[in-house]
Amino acid sequence: MSKEYLGEFEELVLTIVGILNDDAYGNAIVNEIKERMDRDCNLSAVHVTLYRLEDKGLIKSKMGGATNARGGRRKRIFTITNAGMAMLKTMKDSRMELWKLIPQLKFIGM
Amino acid sequence: MEDNKKLLAIRLLTWFCPSKLLESIEGDLIEAYEDDLRRVGEATAKRRLLFNVIKFLRPGILLRHHFSFQLMQYAMLKSYWIIAIRNINKSKVFSTINILGLGIAIAAVLLIVQFVMFELSYDKFHTNFDRTYRITNDRFQNGQLIQHGTITYPTIGPTMAKDFPEIEMYTRLMPSGELNVKIGENIFQGEEAMFADEHFMSVFSFPMLAGDRVKALKEKYSLLITRKTAMRYFNVKDENFDAVVGKTVYWGLDTQPYTVTGVCDDIPENSHLQFNALVSYASLISPDDHGADDSWTWSDMRHYLVLAPGTDPKTLEAKFDDFSERYFKGDKVSGSIEKFYLQPLKEAHLYSNYEYDIAKTANGKAVWAMLIVAVFILIIAGINYINLTTSRALERAKEVGLRKVMGAVKSQLVRQFIFESVLVSLLAFIVAIILTQIVQHPFNQIIGGNLSWWVVLSQIEMKVKLLMLGTAAAAIIVSGFYPAFVLSSHQPITVLKGKFRHTTKGNVLQKGLVIFQFMSAAVLITGTIMVSQQIKFMNNSDLGININNTIIVESPERTSWDSTFIQRVESFKNELQTIDNVKSAATSNNIPGARLGRTFNVHLSDASSGPKYTMSFLGIDHSFVQTFDLKVVAGRGFETTDHHADFDQLQNAMVNVGATRLLGMKSPDEIIGRHVNFWGKNWTVVGVIPDYHQQGLKNAMEPMIFFPAYSTYYPTSIKIGSGDSKATLAQIEATFKKFFPDNVFQYSYLEDRYKSQYKDDNRFGQIVSIFTILAIIISCLGLIGLSSYTAIQRTKEIGIRKVLGASVMNVVSLLSIDFMKLILIATILSLPISYFVLERWLDGYAYKIRMEWLLFLLPVVLIVVIAALTMSFQIIKTALTKPADTLKYE
Repeated sequence: MSKEYLGEFEELVLTIVGILNDDAYGNAIVNEIKERMDRDCNLSAVHVTLYRLEDKGLIKSKMGGATNARGGRRKRIFTITNAGMAMLKTMKDSRMELWKLIPQLKFIGM
Repeated sequence: MEDNKKLLAIRLLTWFCPSKLLESIEGDLIEAYEDDLRRVGEATAKRRLLFNVIKFLRPGILLRHHFSFQLMQYAMLKSYWIIAIRNINKSKVFSTINILGLGIAIAAVLLIVQFVMFELSYDKFHTNFDRTYRITNDRFQNGQLIQHGTITYPTIGPTMAKDFPEIEMYTRLMPSGELNVKIGENIFQGEEAMFADEHFMSVFSFPMLAGDRVKALKEKYSLLITRKTAMRYFNVKDENFDAVVGKTVYWGLDTQPYTVTGVCDDIPENSHLQFNALVSYASLISPDDHGADDSWTWSDMRHYLVLAPGTDPKTLEAKFDDFSERYFKGDKVSGSIEKFYLQPLKEAHLYSNYEYDIAKTANGKAVWAMLIVAVFILIIAGINYINLTTSRALERAKEVGLRKVMGAVKSQLVRQFIFESVLVSLLAFIVAIILTQIVQHPFNQIIGGNLSWWVVLSQIEMKVKLLMLGTAAAAIIVSGFYPAFVLSSHQPITVLKGKFRHTTKGNVLQKGLVIFQFMSAAVLITGTIMVSQQIKFMNNSDLGININNTIIVESPERTSWDSTFIQRVESFKNELQTIDNVKSAATSNNIPGARLGRTFNVHLSDASSGPKYTMSFLGIDHSFVQTFDLKVVAGRGFETTDHHADFDQLQNAMVNVGATRLLGMKSPDEIIGRHVNFWGKNWTVVGVIPDYHQQGLKNAMEPMIFFPAYSTYYPTSIKIGSGDSKATLAQIEATFKKFFPDNVFQYSYLEDRYKSQYKDDNRFGQIVSIFTILAIIISCLGLIGLSSYTAIQRTKEIGIRKVLGASVMNVVSLLSIDFMKLILIATILSLPISYFVLERWLDGYAYKIRMEWLLFLLPVVLIVVIAALTMSFQIIKTALTKPADTLKYE
């Protein structure tokens, strides 16, 4: 895992895919990020990131069923893989390790 | 939303987005768009959509094409391949015609382009190519141009270099004819040589193999030879040309040895100057004869200048009028008004029409015309290919309909047909390369060069290579596109119902093409006939001089000139006449067929203040008139008493009728006994002979003067009978060796040499006939395509007509009448073009055939017959089809 490095946005998208579970597709992710993080991101950036994550084996995709919305186009549904889950966990753990190393003094003054 | 598909942005997306990702991206975009539509209105939504789509134009998306593209194409390519091969196999005749037609055209284009490239590559290898100019010199007398030449006076170069600082370098040269050298005991003859000054190798950058470029031609009696000459003279081993430098040779009878000071590489074929050896110009100048350096009247020198960078040649040229006035003072110095011009080196090969030119020349207009022809051939072949392919549209309409029903989209069909075009083009290209290889040798013989693609490709620039490659690719794709779109545009419903629509626009294009093709063919046929008639006319005309059965023996140069030489030649001639088969022999300073020297200051001695005239001169002996069957029309011919070993003692001259006319005589008799002044002395005219064609029929007969002279440099003309020429030659050789030992015996037939003047015309004739045949083949291919197209189109109509009682003859005439109309229009249109072009062409000949109406009628008949034969096969086949077969599906 140490060889793989995830960018900040990649990590964010990966986390959102994990959150949305079976309903993660391009637009949903954009909306979710907007909603939860109050952050505008471009659809194309999300798509590119999703494909990159898929290449790394952190998520997988399948085409969803046909609907009448979206001009009849199917969604590409992304789900997080075990590797993706492990990646998120490792990253969270290492952050926590680092977090613990920050001198806690500052909090005293608060 | 139904109209989503029509959104420009979405269309843009489908164009660049990998198909694997397309659907989900499209879906997301549309979803976002629909959201926006509700919230912010249509205009903003649309703008945002477009903006979003454009944001997808990023490497992260575009690079994802790669994998999916290959996978998809591979499967499709395989299918395209199978279908294409099946189609080629299915109609073998059609495919063969198509591939061969295209192949022949490409081969022709390849050969032409090769030839043109070569012709355009002349002299480019010189470092100073862009700055090098040749001085040309026009002379005027009594207001008329009397000479348009490259030769001028030896003083011009140094004087101009002194007067005009724009001139960086100049070089002078003068051809010396064939070298005739003795090295040890061996005599070598036949190397073309020139006198060239020390700057020659600096002006021109022929690569040196040994010796110093700057110093090699500086000293008197220096000799610079080419690789081939060095090999021949000294048998150089292991490329060790340095070993040759310093060796000496003896030239002619000169007791002064000539030292080899340098060796240069063989002169490339694409050099307008061709030589095997250079002799230092200084060798021409001796203390008692320095005319080659400072004469203002001896004009045998060719000059080349290198101008300083940035010099405008036109500005310099404009100063030459003053220069001429300054040194020539009108016609006071040389007898004529002198005008000087600069000709760029890049025009020396292709745009020279000068007298006394030593350049290897070709007709630049013809070269460009060839290139235009090549482009035309390519276009015609391409359109033909389109015609032939679309003519099969009907056969394949059902295939297309069915494919569409099975779900093929138009772009797939287009790709399939383009793939087929590319395949056919590639096959045609292979055919073309094979053809080129086969005909390269005969082609080289016709054009008199040694071309091959390898040579040409190694010489042209990358830019041109890319251009050619691009043109080829574009031609293939463009000619594939039209049929691809026509074929793939059939609507499945109409096609499968059995109905076809045809646009009249296509017909106009096709008809125009047929007219154009047959018009070109007709012009070319007329041209071929005319050119061959003219050549025949030139070969068969009465020259006024009998050159048949004449053997020319080259001069005994290695014999010393003394007072006994005349006697020796006379004895030689007498002994020749003892040979059974020899009728007569004569010596002269030039032979019929050669351009003669000119003298510019001819006038009647009692009219020295009157106008001066220019005449060609020829030194002949007393047997010349008899040997060549010339009739003396006034006075007498030369007699032995007219000759004298001392040139200054010669007094009598003869002239031709043209000269008497120029000198103002009403009849030739008037001039007998009159004195004529030329070369600074008075000559008594003793006889007049009729004008004859000294040069071929391209040139007008010039006024001539004859003087009674002998020289060791005069070839001997021997008139023989019809006996065994081999035995006669052996006897002549023995006699020659007996009188002139130590000389090389070289002979040729005068008739061959005379006819070699028409070499260019013959070459032109051959090239025109090749194009004619090509044009006919290509036009006929087009006609086959078109007639079969129409025939198939009208199958049902014909069926119905036959049911209603039309005979085969009716149907044949019905089908052919349209084409015959086109062909008649084509031939009629060709008449004025042929007339115009050929009249121009014939203008180049002083003596020419008349353009008779029969010459124009013949091609018309020929074209109609060929066209009828070509169409007949397809048309008769259609006409003979049983109506039951064509109508049974109704």
